[in-house]
This record gives sequence, structure tokens and C-alpha cells, in this order.
Amino acid sequence: MRRYAPATVEAVLEDLLGEPSLARGVVHHEVIPARPAAYAPLPAWLDPRIRTGLASRGIDQLYTHQADAIQEVRAGRDVVVVTPTASGKTLCYALPVLQAIADDPSSRALFLFPTKALGQDQVAEFGELARASGLVVNASTYDGDTPAPIRSAIRTAGQVVVTNPDMLHAAILPHHTKWFQLFEQLRVIVVDELHTYRGVFGSHVANVLRRLLRLCAHYGSHPVIVCCSATIGNPTELAATLTGRAPVLVDRNGAPSGERHLLLVDPPLLDPASGARGSAVTLAQRWALPFLRAGRQTIVFGRSRTAVELLLTGIRESLRDGAGPRSRVRGYRGGYLPTERRAIERGLRDGEVLGVVSTNALELGVDIGRLDAAVLAGYPGSIAATWQQIGRAGRRQGVSVAVLVASGSPVDQYVIHHPEFLLAGSPEEARLDPDNLHVLLAHVKAATFELPFAQGETFGSGPADDLLAFLEEEGHVRQAGDGRWYWSSENFPASAVSLRTAAQENVVIIDTTPDRPRVIGEVDLFAAQTLVHEDAIYLHESAQFHVDRLDWDERKAYVRRVDVDHYTQADRAVTLKPLDVFAEDAAPGGTRLHGEVMVASLATIYKKLKFVTNENLGWGRIHLPEIELQTTAYWLTVTEAGGWRRNELDAALVGAGRALQTVASVVLMVDPRDLGLVTQVRSPHHELPTVFLYDAVPGGVGLAERLYARHVDLITGAAALIRECECQGGCPACTGPRLEPELDVTGLALRLLAQLGAPLSVAAA
Amino acid sequence: MLARRLATFRREDTAAARPSGHVAQRSTAGNGRHRGTELANRLAAALDAEVVVTPQGSIVRIEAAARALPLDREALAHLPGQPPANVPLVCLDTETTGLATAAGTVAFLVGLGWWEDSRFRQVQLLLPDQPDEPALLDLLASMIPSHAWLVTYNGRGFDWPLLVARFRMARRDAPPHAGHLDLLATVRRLFRHRMADARLRTAEEALLGIARVDDVEGWEIPGRYLSFLRGGDPQPLVPVVQHNDRDVRSLACLLAHLADELGDHDRRRLAPDGDLLGLARTFQREGRLDEALQCLDMAVQRPLRPAASLRAAATPRPGATLGSAGAITSRPAVVPRPAVVPSAWLVDRTDDIRVAIAQRSQARLARLTRDQLARERARLLRRLGRRDEARLAWHALAGSSGPLAAVAYVELAKILEHVERDFPAALDAVTAADSLVAGSASVDAPLPGLHADLRRRRERLVRRAAGDTGRVPASLETPGRGPHAPAHALLNG
Repeated sequence: MRRYAPATVEAVLEDLLGEPSLARGVVHHEVIPARPAAYAPLPAWLDPRIRTGLASRGIDQLYTHQADAIQEVRAGRDVVVVTPTASGKTLCYALPVLQAIADDPSSRALFLFPTKALGQDQVAEFGELARASGLVVNASTYDGDTPAPIRSAIRTAGQVVVTNPDMLHAAILPHHTKWFQLFEQLRVIVVDELHTYRGVFGSHVANVLRRLLRLCAHYGSHPVIVCCSATIGNPTELAATLTGRAPVLVDRNGAPSGERHLLLVDPPLLDPASGARGSAVTLAQRWALPFLRAGRQTIVFGRSRTAVELLLTGIRESLRDGAGPRSRVRGYRGGYLPTERRAIERGLRDGEVLGVVSTNALELGVDIGRLDAAVLAGYPGSIAATWQQIGRAGRRQGVSVAVLVASGSPVDQYVIHHPEFLLAGSPEEARLDPDNLHVLLAHVKAATFELPFAQGETFGSGPADDLLAFLEEEGHVRQAGDGRWYWSSENFPASAVSLRTAAQENVVIIDTTPDRPRVIGEVDLFAAQTLVHEDAIYLHESAQFHVDRLDWDERKAYVRRVDVDHYTQADRAVTLKPLDVFAEDAAPGGTRLHGEVMVASLATIYKKLKFVTNENLGWGRIHLPEIELQTTAYWLTVTEAGGWRRNELDAALVGAGRALQTVASVVLMVDPRDLGLVTQVRSPHHELPTVFLYDAVPGGVGLAERLYARHVDLITGAAALIRECECQGGCPACTGPRLEPELDVTGLALRLLAQLGAPLSVAAA
Repeated sequence: MLARRLATFRREDTAAARPSGHVAQRSTAGNGRHRGTELANRLAAALDAEVVVTPQGSIVRIEAAARALPLDREALAHLPGQPPANVPLVCLDTETTGLATAAGTVAFLVGLGWWEDSRFRQVQLLLPDQPDEPALLDLLASMIPSHAWLVTYNGRGFDWPLLVARFRMARRDAPPHAGHLDLLATVRRLFRHRMADARLRTAEEALLGIARVDDVEGWEIPGRYLSFLRGGDPQPLVPVVQHNDRDVRSLACLLAHLADELGDHDRRRLAPDGDLLGLARTFQREGRLDEALQCLDMAVQRPLRPAASLRAAATPRPGATLGSAGAITSRPAVVPRPAVVPSAWLVDRTDDIRVAIAQRSQARLARLTRDQLARERARLLRRLGRRDEARLAWHALAGSSGPLAAVAYVELAKILEHVERDFPAALDAVTAADSLVAGSASVDAPLPGLHADLRRRRERLVRRAAGDTGRVPASLETPGRGPHAPAHALLNG
């Protein structure tokens, strides 16, 4: 099959399915038929200049979703547009904005994108359409890279201001008096990539929007909000929570698509006793290589930075002996510098780059055109992300192929053996909690700085007076004689808050190999603990670097290029302390609770693992300070601990905890990495055996409360998961890897869950 | 649920260790709440000021007795960048609750000053409480005539944008005015060379010869006001009001100083070389080349004297006698400020050594300034098209063997090479510059890029000289010739 001749996607797929070793692993093959386009005419009210502009770009009618969206916006209603990747959603907001400017050139619009790069793409696209329409529109990006002299011009004359939530938060809203023309004439606010505003970031952004709308009201404008989202389970709810308005859902997708094949692939079971399966990374390479050799543009998604680098190395080496396309396969992930990324995106659009191996960084609406094949090495963790990644393959005409290669992890296994979960199940719901107190208080401060609060004025869900009274005690604000709350501190509150708490501070990675050391990337603090600790092997563009020194205080990692046969993997020790109980209730065999906890994460040791075989070559200690996380958690205690041997109880707690974590992530439809697990044989707080599931972001985003409510489902589901597993005595797919082979973890975990009220009837059957 | 979470948060917050001082500073709710008039009355009592009650709110208005402070407006108007003689001037300075010119920073005290004939009148508007701000903005707007010029210190970058933001917060336009003179820019251009920094207080000391006593530090000001708002004592605001009063008065004194010291040709005779250099450059920026040349001519024609002796000869200026008793002391203006000389490392030396070093540095500095004047003059002559005079000026500078002689040789080399096409002579000039640069590696004059420039010139000239005449230039045979010889040769030839 090592053929380097151009071939059609169908031919490559046929070859692949004709190869027994590969075909055996296909557990589901779904063919999604081609869909014709559904068109609607351009609305009569559309300005003739814009019609001309569209015509010059070959557009004389709209897709149905585009027509629906612009009609609603025209009528002054907020909308949330939900359509798949690359379905022409830009027009959904570009047309209303152009129309508003055609009607009245003093109109202004604000475009929000989650990242700088996306904003720059969009401003270019919008500008082209405006020029084609012969409209003079001043559309500019306003972000950290905007030079100072241009900034003041954008403030006074920018009709379309393209920015990101961070910039809005720290640079625009606190200086709103310099932006009064924008706030007075704001007609349209565009929130693109709505689905990215979840978790703690979403909670922050919801509050930034509250502040924005509050200032609009002050300046007398009532902008319409257009949200655009990839497919998620609760777009209307998300948009409503984020914007505080009640948007109209537009999801009548009219964009055409060619025939698409979706293959769900399971790596072979290597050892039934341990449940060990072949590597998803290796198998993904085998599925991707024939497409590359046939000259078909292919994207391969890895779940982590390390996975991306391993995939890239593997694919490049396999292509090495063949002539040609090796250098046309590139890596793409968070640590790469922006210029490097732009070049890869361009290369994908013009076909110069044949293949790309990426993390979820390419999930977002970065414009890379449409590719022939997508191979996912591992379930991306959510249905929405899966469809985003699969959506990268799919031309408007012709056949495309997407392959999801499962890993051995429990959620992957669940998804791959329940295709209906992906194909029919509604994608997960994006959760955010704008009333997360850490977040809310920070933004009430910033809002008071921007404009005093009237007595009884609402901010978000209710009057802000209680919060302001609290802030008054802290000395940040004061209530004056007129009853209004005024900012009364010398500080500049917005500067103290980062919207992306997880990436508040980054560690810069400096390559000291060349004469002039250069920055090759950066990682956030949490990731730095395990990726660039001293003596780690850090992978970048499939090159290996040894971390010589990590200057934690200066946030700098000094690395040197090496060529070794191993990589490193670090472990974390996590400790947890309950701070407060919000709710507590008796449950069968114990208690269920939810409340606030303090989680401390410490990187402990790292292992040197040999490539391919994963053979352990040695280990070392990591000396880094602990990182603390105050968040919300759901936990349960076991009251009747008699009759358990300590080591058995420990194994049972861990085993049941793993199963609970898996079931919780499926029940709540969240990425399992969003939930942390801690088990304690004797919790210092309760003096009882305890299992904690915590929300992995500061302050939490509301997962704990929902788990508390679903306690019975969790216990029942965890027991079912363990019982239905094919393994003997526990495996990574149910109770986690077997640490003490002499213990029957499956039996112990089931015994514990039964004690907690799990029904026994199925076990008997 | 929100209330519940807030309660939890509050508990955690109190449980967390915090410095006891911070807790003590917390005011309980209600403690800081007063009717605006009550705060205004307390302030007025502490400051011996009046309360102006308007429908928009109450304002504390402080007016000191007007004082004689003659300002020669005609002389001032002759200076570059200064306001015309016939427009009203409004000196303005604010005290604020923070340093960011963002929406949450309030200008709680606005000091204004203007002339009524030869008397300088000052009024300060103090905000007794945040809700009264519209009243302050109203009063302020009524006190700035639309044909007036504002006079500030760093007001272009800070005070005025902040006030514009305050008007914008109230959804109204800031009062129009005809011009804005930011004295920070003027001071930087004319006097920065003899000051350690360009802060207003430094300018007062260096130019007006006055030093403040018991002045409140800028960083303390926001805190004093904010703690007053939270129910604190008005007394700590008294020095803040005095501070602002002096800032406004200093603006007036600086204007008078400018007019008196530099306002016309005769007054400039006593000005230090550096001031004249700055003045000449400022004239040039406005295209007033003849006046620039006058300044330079005057400076280079007078004998070289240390700046200090010039200043000693100056008549006492009004600024030095303006201090209110006890608050501002007058001191003789003879003390030179060797501002450009790094002095921190001198602290441990004995006074004798300090003085000796300071004097030597002073002398070197004076020499450099004189050379800069000469260079500026030669460039200006060239710009005016007076080529022969320019060439003579470069000759003079080259022959002086001062810090910038090498630069003059390069200029001569340019003229010789490109205008007169006398390549051997040009090469001689380059050689002379070379040896000066080599011998003065440690000289104060910063001559960046000169080395490389000379090398390129030399290579080109050697090529052209060989091509043109076929003879090897004398300077290549005897590279050890002193720097003066070519100058003489050029002068004679």
C-alpha cells in the first residue's frame, strides 16, 4: 500500500477497507449522504451597492440560514446562528453591518473573536466585501498589536472595531470616554465562536458583556447581538446566559456538502486481562498515511501537544523513504509562534501544505479551507469538538472521510461502541457560570470603576447592592449620600483580572542551542509543571529539546536541542481540602455534598519512557512550587466503613471514583479533564472514606451542583459501567489501571457502590 | 443562591490571613455616608473656604488673595510656542484619585489661576463628595473663556484628557479653548540640560530658585482624599490644597521667568549657553531661522564662562520672592546644578574632591555645549544658504579641538569632496577627524556611527584621489600628523 500515486478519496478509502488488519478495527461506518444547497433570495431591502459587491464575488442568492439571520437582525432581534464549520456564517453578520453603514455611515459595530488571529482573518474578509460594494468602511482590529498612533484613529473613526474579550475588558471599557462615538452609535455586536465562551473564560466574558451593555445604555445605544456558534447542545441557552438577552435561534443550514464517510475505529485488544489496547496514535498514522501518499489534503488531530509531536514524528518518518511530501506535513499547536501558524494556514488554503497535525487549536474558525480527510487520534472529549474536528474534512462537492480512532480510555471506549451517542445524541451543553463569585466580584469592581452604580441597579441576575456592600467593606467602593455606589480606590481594577485564569501567566521557552537564544514557544503555568520541568524532554515541531533550567520566578525555561530515544511524562500529586459545604444530604450508605474546596497540585516525579515501546528508562524528582485552585466540588462520604481492610477500601474508592468520574463526564456531557478526582480513605474533614469530584477551574462553573443533583444516576451508572466491562479485575476503561494486581478491584468497587445504594439485580443476572 | 455564595465567600475572605492594619482601615457600612453638604461644610471649615451650593451639588471654593506677579505678555509672545499677547491665560492643575486617565479616576481638586492686570488671581474648586461632580464641571466650564489658552504642566497628556473624560462621563462636551501651552514641553526644550529631571518641582528649584518645604508627596494625594470620603478627617487635605495652589502659582512664575530671561535679545545675553541652544532649536522648529541664528551668534561670540557665573550675574527674578512666608523659601540662584553629572556615586567622597570633580565636569560640559552651539550655527547657516559663512563656522569648530571638532572635520570633508572635489584635501580632513576620534574615546560627546562613517569616507576618498590625480595623498604617507595641521592647511588654501 506504500503507493505514492495520486488517487481519489474513494480509491484510498477502498484500499484501506480492503486491508484486513485495518478493516477489523472498524466498529462503525456511517455514510452521510451529500446535501444539496438550500437557497433563499437576497432580501429586497438590501442596499444595491451591497448586491453589486456580492455579485462581484459570485453571490446572487443566500443560503437559508444566512437569509434567516439577516432578516431577524434587520427586525432588531438578537440571533444565535448555529451552523457547521465553513458554512458561510460571516455573511450572517457582515450583511447587517454593511447595511447599517450603508443606511447611516455613523453606525458602528463591534466584532468579538476569542483570539487575535481569528479577528485578523475576519477583518480581511469583511474589508474585501465592503470594498467590492464600493462602501468606504473603516474596519480595523484593535488588539495588543495595534500601534499607538493608529489606536486613537480607531477610537474616533473606526466604524467596525474588531477585537477580543480581553482587550474589551482591559483597554476599551475602562476607557469608554475615549470611545464615546462607538458606544453612542453601536448598532451591532458580533460574538463569534460562541461555543468557546464556556467554563471560566465564558463566565468572565458574560460579565464583560454585561459591562459593555451597561455602557451602551449609558450612552443611549441599543445594539443587536449576533452570536455565531459551532454545533452545541444548548446554543440558545448559552447565548442567553452569555449576553443576558433572549436570542432567536437560526439553525436552518443551507450550505451544501459532499458525501461524507465517518469511521469509528477501535485499536486491537492486546491483553484481555489488563484491558490494554493498541495505541490510538500509531493506528491514526496508519489511517492517515495512505491519504497523504495519494496527495489528498489531510488533517490529523492529537489530543495533547505531546501526541501531536509524536504523530508528526511518526508520519514524517514513514514518509521519509518515499519521495516528496514529507516536508509538506506540518505541526500546528498552541506553543507555535503566530507567524509560523499563519504560514501553515496559508499553506493549507493554497495547497502548498498537504498535511497538518494539530491539537484542538485548529478546532476554532481559523480559515484553512476544506480538506479531504480528517483523522482523530482519540476522542476529543466532547461531541461538539468531535464535529468541529471532523468538519475540517468535507468539500462542498466530492467525497470526504473522517476517522475517529479511539484510545483505550473509558470515555473513548464508550463513545466508539455507542455510535448513536455521536450521531444522534445531542452534543454537550456549554456551561458557564457568570455568577461565579470570584468572577462576578471582579467585574462588579470594574463596572463601578467605569460608571457608578445606582441604588438597586441590576448587574446580571439581580441588584448589585449586596455585592457592592461587600466591596465597600473591602474599601473598593463607597455608597455616597445620593445612594449611588462610586469607585473609591486608586487601583485600576481591570488590570488585576485576566479573563483566562488558566493561562494567566505563561512560561516562555527559550532555545539556547543557537548563538543567539530564541523564544520557540510558551506554555501556561499549569502545563509548565509537567511539560518543562528541569530535565524534561520538550517536543517542538517534532524536534526534541532538553530543559536545562526552569526559572520559575522569571517564568522562563531554557532548553537545548537534543536527539534521544525517549520522552518524559510527569505525575502530579493532588490534595484537596473542603472549605465550605453548600448543601448536604443523607444518601444510602453515606452522604452527598457539594461546596467549595481548595485543591493543591504538585508535580512530583517524571518518568523517562522509550518511544514506541513506552518502556520505563528511569525517573527523577520535580522540584516546583504547588499551584492552588479554589473551586467547587461534589463529594460523597461512606458512613459504614466497618468490615473493610484498609488497602481494599483504598482500591475500592479509587476504582469506584474512576467509574464515577467517567459516568459524570458522560452524564454532564463535559470533557472528563474538566473534572478532577480525589479519593481519601479517611478524610480529615469528615473522618470518613470520601470521593471528591471537583470542577477543574477556579471558582467552578457549576458542574458540582449538577453532579450533586444527579447523585443516584452517578452511583447506578458507575456500577453498570464496571459490571458491563469485559475485563477481569479492573482495567483503564472501568476502574482504572490495576496498581495492585492481587486485588480484585472490580469486585471491591462494586461492593462499595452496592453499599452506596447501587441496585444489585443486574449483577445477579 | 448568590446570597448564599456571597456569605461563604465573605467567611473565607475573613478567615484568610490579612494584615491587621488593613482591617482597621475598613469602614463599616454607613460610616462613610454623609449628605454632600455635610462633607462640604467640614471641608470648608478646615480650609477656611466657602461652600458654593448649586442645583447640581455643592462645591468648596478656595480663593487666596490675589498677588502681584507681573508678566510681560509681549516678551512672552515673542518666544516660540507661547500664546499671543492678547488672549487670556488660564493656568490649570488638577489633583486626582489615581494615575490612569480612565473612567474611574476623578479630578477632585482643580486649581485655576489667571491674570487681572498685573495681579495673579487663584481659585481652587474642591469636590466635597462624588455626587457633586456635575457642579464642579459646571463651575469649571464657566471659568475657562473660549478664547483663552490653558497653561499646564503635563496637562496635554494628563490633566486635560482626564477632565475631558469627566465631562464625557457627564455626557457633555469639555469647554472649548483657543490653545494649550504645556510648559513641560517648553521646560524640556529649553532647560532640561541643566535639570536632573523635568518634574515641576525640579524646574522650580533650577529655574526659580525656590524649594518647597513640607510639600505633600504626589503618591499620598489620592489616599488622603479617599480616606476623607470614607468619613476621615479633612485635615490631611489641607497640605494637598496648598500643594495644588503652589503648582498653579509655579505655572505663572515659570511664564514670568520665560518672559524675563529669554523674552528679547538683551535679556538673553545672560542666559546660559544651553538655554540659548534650546531656544535656537525651538525657533528653528517654528521656521523662525533668523531669530534662531541671532541666539546662536550671540552665544558663540561671548567669551566662554561657566554657566554658574552667568546665573550669578542675573537679576533676582520675581519667582524667588513669591513664596508665602514659611512655606516657600527663597534661596540665591547662584547654586549651579551639575545635573548632567552623575552625582550619586560621589556621595561618599570628601567635599573637596566632590567640588573638584564637579568643577571639571562643569568645565567639560560648558565646552561641549559651546561646541554644540557652534555646530548648530554652522548647520543653520548652511540651511540658510550662507555657504561661505557655514564653511568658516566649520573651520572654526574644527580648529577649536573641542569635543565636536571631529564632526566639523567630517562636514569639511563633505564640502571638499562633493562641492570642491578636492579629494586629497578631503582625505586630510578625514584623517584629522580620525585622529581626534581615536584620541578622545572617553570624551563626553556621543559620536555614534562616526567611526564607520569615517572608514567609508576614507576608502572612497582613497579610491577617488588615486583615480583623479594618481598621487598618493600625503596623509597616507605620514599618518602621524597632528590634527591641527590639516585645519591650517585648509584655512590657508
